Amino acid sequence: MLISPHARDGSNIFLQTGNLTDVLRQMSVVGIIALAMTYVILTAGIDLSVGSTLALSTSLVAMFVVRPGPANLFLHAAFAMGIAVSASALVGVVNGMTIAALGIPPFIVTLASMIGIRGLAKWLTNNENIDIGFGSDAAARFADFVNSKMVILGTFALLAVIFWIVLERTIFGRYVRAIGDNEKAGRYTGLPIRRIKIWVYALAGLLTGIAGVLYAAENHQGNPNAGVAYELDAIAAVVIGGASLAGGSGSIGGTVIGTLIMGILTNILRLKNVDSNVEMMVKAVIIVLAVGIQKSGKKT
Amino acid sequence: MEPLLRIEHANKHYEGTRALDDASFSVLPGEVHALMGENGAGKSTLSKIIAGAERADSIDIYWQGKRLEIASPIEAQRLGIGIVFQELDVFPNLSIAENIVIGNLQMERRAYVNWRELTAFCKPFLEQVGLTAAPRARVGDLRTGERQLVAIARALSFEASLILMDEPTSSLAEDAVERLFAVIRRLKANGVSIVYVSHKMKEIREIADRVTVLRDGATIGTRQAQDTTIEEIITMMVGRELATRPQRQRREPGEILLSVERLRTEKIKDVSFEVRRGEILGIAGLVGAGRSELGAALFGLDRIQSGKIRMGGHEIEPRSPREALEAGFGLLPEDRKLEGLMMQMSVGENTTMASLGRFQRFGFLRSRAESQASQPVHRRMRLKAASIRIDVSSLSGGNQQKVLFSKWLLKNPEILFLDDPTRGIDIGAKQDIYAIVEELAVEGKGILFVSSELGELLDNCDRILVLCEGRATGILDARSATQEQIMSLATLQERAA
Repeated sequence: MLISPHARDGSNIFLQTGNLTDVLRQMSVVGIIALAMTYVILTAGIDLSVGSTLALSTSLVAMFVVRPGPANLFLHAAFAMGIAVSASALVGVVNGMTIAALGIPPFIVTLASMIGIRGLAKWLTNNENIDIGFGSDAAARFADFVNSKMVILGTFALLAVIFWIVLERTIFGRYVRAIGDNEKAGRYTGLPIRRIKIWVYALAGLLTGIAGVLYAAENHQGNPNAGVAYELDAIAAVVIGGASLAGGSGSIGGTVIGTLIMGILTNILRLKNVDSNVEMMVKAVIIVLAVGIQKSGKKT
Repeated sequence: MEPLLRIEHANKHYEGTRALDDASFSVLPGEVHALMGENGAGKSTLSKIIAGAERADSIDIYWQGKRLEIASPIEAQRLGIGIVFQELDVFPNLSIAENIVIGNLQMERRAYVNWRELTAFCKPFLEQVGLTAAPRARVGDLRTGERQLVAIARALSFEASLILMDEPTSSLAEDAVERLFAVIRRLKANGVSIVYVSHKMKEIREIADRVTVLRDGATIGTRQAQDTTIEEIITMMVGRELATRPQRQRREPGEILLSVERLRTEKIKDVSFEVRRGEILGIAGLVGAGRSELGAALFGLDRIQSGKIRMGGHEIEPRSPREALEAGFGLLPEDRKLEGLMMQMSVGENTTMASLGRFQRFGFLRSRAESQASQPVHRRMRLKAASIRIDVSSLSGGNQQKVLFSKWLLKNPEILFLDDPTRGIDIGAKQDIYAIVEELAVEGKGILFVSSELGELLDNCDRILVLCEGRATGILDARSATQEQIMSLATLQERAA
């Protein structure tokens, strides 16, 4: 079987702890984006700009971390990360405000920013990768620290817990689901629809910014061409997790499971040296199967 | 006479509930057969099965004496069964003419649309239902009542030998009901059978030949309409005697709570009135008179062009529902599924939706406080729901309406605008809603009560404001007013023109 977890020699490399945590680490970047994407999709929206925003974030953090900055190593790294994350959050705020104030469909607005932000990232970096290096300077030490499994997995886990609690236990979370379920009824109930929408896209920007910082550290470079099609991976994870693009249904738990399915699948296929093009075809089938099985399960 | 359609041993389960329990009934050629029952009695399920939209678990269907199955809506149509559903299944972005011919095999076989031919084809059917809008008008731009007329015209266009009407008058004003009855009588004279699903006793008496009553999915009995009484049918439906008239408590209207002066929006021309504390002001008018639009103006949904709204002496100008809510308004919308409820969310979540701020501590919602606050409201509404955790979509129409009402009871606004609150719900639920409205008035709230049923307005309101084409044409005292008076005010503009 193509997707059985055994290597050609019969040993079960998949189940080795080293490999399992690798799987988790690899999927964390997309997983973090998928958390915020869950909120966006719950409101019956979509955010196509996250891939480009990720590129912007990796580029900015690399640019500022390789520059001479504050003498304090911690401050230096925090400053670079702060710039990258706030710029990404700002992209989200602009997306959200355009969608909420002008009433343009989210697909169109975020399609535009997907193109525009990619351009911005390339323009800022002259379309060149910014290497962080492996020495003992501030930049390299930042990358080594952030790139630890602990930090990456910890960030994903912490954000997943926060997003889960906010969705299940706060007014904001309740409104997010309500708006996607029936926006008109939300209006008739006096819910702050615009404010919620702006927040949801701002959070998508914010989390993508954080994911971008992790990506830069993992790859030891800022890359304006990073994150291509990540928006689609994130959407796929959310949808496999049981969300409906029509809004109103979906959960953080589901999205985490969806992310794991995508990550494990990729990992198994790579361990078996399956051609990456074939990998895409298998993924396509899995996405449709996963959603199809849920649909038929709901009917009975 | 051999029945046109005979149904026996119909059984159907939905998750846990038994929608049909060995139900049976038959329709004779050329008769109007009323199918009655409370919400959840199985009327809609049975109609859907006849229409081919749902499959029964087990059923025997005989069409003109021949046993067969109705596996899809297309098969039903081929047999000659036309349908006008309660949940209007029209295509809002298509024109009236396209809505009528869609699914019409003969017209659809053409490769291109000949608009002149299409318009000519639709014209007689539109005339029969009395719809004056242009055949090329977008159905989405029509009011709910007019959309229903399109659905009826579509059923007529199939030359069906049996037309199934599920609550066809639930959103029609009295004049449109009369027009519909004229159409039904004409069809009957041509030998067409009508299955008429309704809650409205008066209509049944007026139009039906025979009545079949369902309760809890089972057939309770069939009666000749002339030989039975309203009381008998009600007893069959609810299984117990029921006081049909609401008990009126004496209450004195207090100070003026809301005063509206020469209000004008895009749809409303000139409306002035006052509502006192403890008063129920009825709002009557034909479809398109501006009843819902008045609510939209007060609730900050439509922009106010001129005029004044005073609330307890302070002038207000709500520009959004949020502002209206803060000023103390509540609005129970006309269409509970489209404008009222979050259908994928639970009964409890829907109930607390407008008052969540109250259940927050340190930024977190306290679900126990939510359910503690919801349960007394649900008891007061006599809501029948297995748990507050179940999805609101699994409830019957009457209970859904009660959840929507609960949301406003919990929010507790000073003025509540009820836009046709008893539309499409059963008698038991209606009585419960009348009782609550009365209670709210006794508490000193101001109630605006829109309804298409004049009898309901006369029974429940103190005064009745009559609208006609966006203007207030009169305010009547409900104790002395008659249906004829209301109708004459509601058609004042038409006759003046």
